[in-house]
Amino acid sequence: MPTSLILAILVITIVLAGLVAVRPNLTVARGGKILAFLAFFIFPVFAGLLGLENHMERAKQTSFCLTCHIMGQYGQSLYVDDASYIPAAHFQNGRVPRDQACYTCHTDYSIFGGFKSKFRGLHHIYAQYVTGPQQPVKLYHPYNNRECLHCHEGSRSFEQGALHTAEPQTMADIKSNKLSCLTSGCHDTIHNVKQLDHVKYWKPVQ
Amino acid sequence: MMQTQGKSINKKLRISGGLIALGLLVQALSLLWNHPLSFIAYVTIGGLFMAGGIVLYLFTLVNIPSAGTEDVEGNTKAQTPQT
Repeated sequence: MPTSLILAILVITIVLAGLVAVRPNLTVARGGKILAFLAFFIFPVFAGLLGLENHMERAKQTSFCLTCHIMGQYGQSLYVDDASYIPAAHFQNGRVPRDQACYTCHTDYSIFGGFKSKFRGLHHIYAQYVTGPQQPVKLYHPYNNRECLHCHEGSRSFEQGALHTAEPQTMADIKSNKLSCLTSGCHDTIHNVKQLDHVKYWKPVQ
Repeated sequence: MMQTQGKSINKKLRISGGLIALGLLVQALSLLWNHPLSFIAYVTIGGLFMAGGIVLYLFTLVNIPSAGTEDVEGNTKAQTPQT
């Protein structure tokens, strides 16, 4: 739902709640009681949930992740003009939605994955403003192949890739997360922020 | 006695309405700010004010004296409901 519509609902609810607060005698009549129930319970809960959902959706945006200064270099790495940079290749070729690039790769594709991601987001805020972020930034857990396979499993380039099928056990190990896509020496150039001063950058056509 | 009760209920309604309006105002402002802290403001400040107002309102509702109460002789006395 558009933010402007949620804001409109919030403003209407504020006006209604304010009206009953300023004139509580309205509640003597039956209609006033119903109005008070709507203004003090139904509308605020409804508007609150809509706002919460809006915040949750906004938290998926690349621009949202990059509001923290420490993430700046990671955002910059998405524009590296080198196909071996996995995030850059995904971002530039539209393999992930550009406006949700961070979230698409860094969420867990499991039953409570979205919830876990949001919880990690709260931990990021705690780390950013209370304890101070770790340098260099590290993942909490090793990257799970499940996140890659969410899109790549079943695709021709993955299922029939020469190295993926070179040995019979390789594909099974990739799918069971025994053989990491990223750290087993195959797709190991990720954000690589230490090298950002020595690379060329892609300039998107406006 | 009845007037005092009515005033007390009105006062609670004013407070709960004020809390809810304030909470919603904070939530509305947080939606205009694209920053991780806006979510914290939404949940902690806005959510707490709003939840406080709603709880106070519901508490007021359940504590309203019933429409008719019996005195010691069993006669029913009507009371004017306020909310």
